[in-house]
Amino acid sequence: MTDTMIAPTEKNSLFMEQLDTLTGPLKGEKSPGWVAQLREEGLTRFRKLGIPTVKDEEWKYTNLSAVAGHRYTLSAKSALSPAQRKDILKRYCGKADVNIVFVNGAFDKELSNLGKIPPQGSLPAVGIEVSTLQEAAKNDPAAVQEIWAHYDPQKDSAFVALNKALTQEGVYIHIKDKIIANQLICILHVTEAPGEQIATFPHAFIRLGKSSEASVLETHVGLNDENIYLADPLTDVFLEENATLHYVKAQKESLKAYHVGTTRVWQKRDSTFNGFSLVAGALITRNNLDVVINGEGAAAFLNGLYSVYKNQHVDNHTSVDHRVPKATSNQLYKGVLNDAARAVFNGKIFVQPIAQQTNSYQLNKNLLLGKDCQVDTKPQLEIFADDVKCTHGATIGQLNEDEIFYLQARGVPRKIATRILTQGFVDDILNRLTRDSVREQAARMVAPSLEVLEG
Amino acid sequence: MRKEETKLLNEKTIEENVLTSRDYKYGFYTDIETDRIPKGLSEDTIRLISKKKNEPDWMLEWRLKAYRHWLTMKEPHWPNFKYGPIDYQGVSYYSAPKKAGQGPKSIEEVDPELRKAFEKLGIPLGEQKRLTGVAVDAVFDSVSVGTTHQAELAKQGIIFCSMSEAIVHHGDLVKKYMGSVVPYSDNFFAALNAAVFSDGSFCCIPKGVKCPLELSTYFRINAAESGQFERTLIVAEEGSYVSYLEGCTAPMRDENQLHAAVVELIAFDDAQIKYSTVQNWYSGDKEGRGGIYNFVTKRGKCLGRRSKISWTQVEAGAAITWKYPSCILQGDDSVGEFYSVALTNHRMQADTGTKMIHIGKRTTSTIISKGISSDESNNNYRGLVKIMPSADRARNFSQCDSMLVGNKCSANTFPYIEVKNSTATLEHEASTSRINAEQVFYLKSRGLDMEAAISLIINGFCKEVFNELPMEFAVEAVRLLQMKLEGSVG
Repeated sequence: MTDTMIAPTEKNSLFMEQLDTLTGPLKGEKSPGWVAQLREEGLTRFRKLGIPTVKDEEWKYTNLSAVAGHRYTLSAKSALSPAQRKDILKRYCGKADVNIVFVNGAFDKELSNLGKIPPQGSLPAVGIEVSTLQEAAKNDPAAVQEIWAHYDPQKDSAFVALNKALTQEGVYIHIKDKIIANQLICILHVTEAPGEQIATFPHAFIRLGKSSEASVLETHVGLNDENIYLADPLTDVFLEENATLHYVKAQKESLKAYHVGTTRVWQKRDSTFNGFSLVAGALITRNNLDVVINGEGAAAFLNGLYSVYKNQHVDNHTSVDHRVPKATSNQLYKGVLNDAARAVFNGKIFVQPIAQQTNSYQLNKNLLLGKDCQVDTKPQLEIFADDVKCTHGATIGQLNEDEIFYLQARGVPRKIATRILTQGFVDDILNRLTRDSVREQAARMVAPSLEVLEG
Repeated sequence: MRKEETKLLNEKTIEENVLTSRDYKYGFYTDIETDRIPKGLSEDTIRLISKKKNEPDWMLEWRLKAYRHWLTMKEPHWPNFKYGPIDYQGVSYYSAPKKAGQGPKSIEEVDPELRKAFEKLGIPLGEQKRLTGVAVDAVFDSVSVGTTHQAELAKQGIIFCSMSEAIVHHGDLVKKYMGSVVPYSDNFFAALNAAVFSDGSFCCIPKGVKCPLELSTYFRINAAESGQFERTLIVAEEGSYVSYLEGCTAPMRDENQLHAAVVELIAFDDAQIKYSTVQNWYSGDKEGRGGIYNFVTKRGKCLGRRSKISWTQVEAGAAITWKYPSCILQGDDSVGEFYSVALTNHRMQADTGTKMIHIGKRTTSTIISKGISSDESNNNYRGLVKIMPSADRARNFSQCDSMLVGNKCSANTFPYIEVKNSTATLEHEASTSRINAEQVFYLKSRGLDMEAAISLIINGFCKEVFNELPMEFAVEAVRLLQMKLEGSVG
């Protein structure tokens, strides 16, 4: 409560002060020199940028002073109870899937099944490498170092820099050339540390070799809606020629938690990125999804669903940078807002001068059900080539009264009618998830925010 | 010394004029004796301007307040522009044709040189040669040189005169409304304008009157090293209607000249204001030398219920255009409209769009914006639709389309949509593409040459906006676009 008394700038300085405390324990770790150097770079960059304020155009509609106003720790003292562990296994870890589980930011070997990657039907699992970041850095330091340093640290945003500075655990996924991985690879982050305000900074690398294919589900969940914590995950995706990745990021953090995540995608020739972003939890969510299309014939699909209620705030920023000719991108983000929830959508499409024959589409649809909900949307096109087809659209509205009346006339109570029609709005985008297990899990995650419609 | 300079400049412009007349036929310069104050900006400059215009004290006080506020402000750099620093001390803030004096008693008294200049621009000031159905207020550099049809309008109780005249004769009205829509503290250029504005048009339509003529202001920048800072104020009382047109041109010069205008519209219950602009300032040459910096603040307030303000603009000139005609929809059921065609060629830069602020219940707004970008120009649409918590059942439809001609230009779209009321319904769509090759082929196969084909397609692209323009201006606008696009395709 005292938080509200502190001015935003003071809060930011409070956050900056605790950087030393946070980085302290990392100094003693036995990581190779280059990791320490990347850390240092990240820290310097973050110190320079600080926590963004609403004066920053990129953060115009999302105020982070609440995020900055807490003291965080990097690791939790509490552990999961056996019942909770059982529940997680049942709910989130399929037997046929590759599971890599992190609890409160730390790798949990028991819940994961990395030692024995399930075979694909009768075929043994070859060419699929899934390991923790530490292990990968030990086994193949050159490869990890190379992709870790892929992006210019001087251009990193504040939270990417912070992740680099403080990341301890992570995932390294490498699918070798010409391998089709049919198993779903699940990265699961569970946060459950009652009474402790922890901050996690997981970093995942997903590399797909030439003509390979994989499906990755990155899930962030909180078990208790009262817990306050900060998650700042970073996922870097690299797609080689003709690779296809189905990537889902599903987030249902505690309703008092903060989630500021970034996913960066680098696409080469003829590759396909089929992404889906689901937001159902957290008090404040900010998702950055940056796609760079760096090879002709590549295609990017960015779908998203946010279904929020109470006083949740969700901010989706997407950016698709067309750097070469003849690529396609397609975005559809849908949102359902109830109570006093607030949604922000900012979609950027860049078409660089040489990126002729680019086709790029973007649509953001918002359904306002609550009395006090707010939407700020800013679809943005920056086009420097002439032979292109780019469109964007945004709609904000309510359910169709005629449709509600139609259902009511057939004996359906108004509340149920609202739920049915909203479910239809949501299912339209959920049906783009082709894998049944993923779609069902996503539907389970958004269910609570839709159930309130009937209450 | 100065006279020699002007003469030199004059010769140069004529020469250039001949060379590039195809691009810009209004680039001539009128050699006329001017009364101008030295370059520079200070409180003394403002006092001098105010004194020259015999202004009452309250006006001077307001100007000085604005100036002091301006000093605390920074030049905005958020638009998507590249330009060198502007030297605000290097501009003469007042330049008037000498013989214009304190506003001629009748049009016949206007200096023949001036009349000739306006005739060349296609704006005859003589009543006998007047454009049928259009009353014109002609602004030359810093002052209004004549207003036509005043007597005819006065019969209906309509006030239409230059701002200087209004401050003297209708001080109470000006005092009441000036700055009520665009306060001097609004933004950097509005503050500068409030401090140094030299003239403009004032128009007040009384209750229940439908203005029988199209009112119009023609702005002409002539003098070198000067800027134009005019202020327009239109008040439409209950149930009245007015259609207002604005046109602008300037000579071709290598230097950049500053034009920072403010337009304020106020519409009471059931009143309608239709404001159309055809902007054709000199836009600089192919290499981007010279041209007008057009930093304009235009805003209308739908104060009354069921009032309506409609902006239509054809932006075809100026090296830099920074302009967002806006509507504050305060009265319940009020309506805001924005129709725009922005054409950029050579190295022009345009950052233009609109703001629709919905405050009243059931307010509706429509935005149709068409951007055409060719050569090495940069064309931006930047708009804001804001639904305040009080605006129940507000409705907005926006459409912004961009067309690219040539592969060195760029087109950007930055629409901001902020909704704070959940009963609002909004639709926004935007597209960017180039001229459809199949359409061009179709027209060519029917005997049209490339330029005619493209011109026809562009016309169709802009038709929704041209339909909103008054007849004479629509014809002018079509010709203007044809002329601008000549030679840029192929």
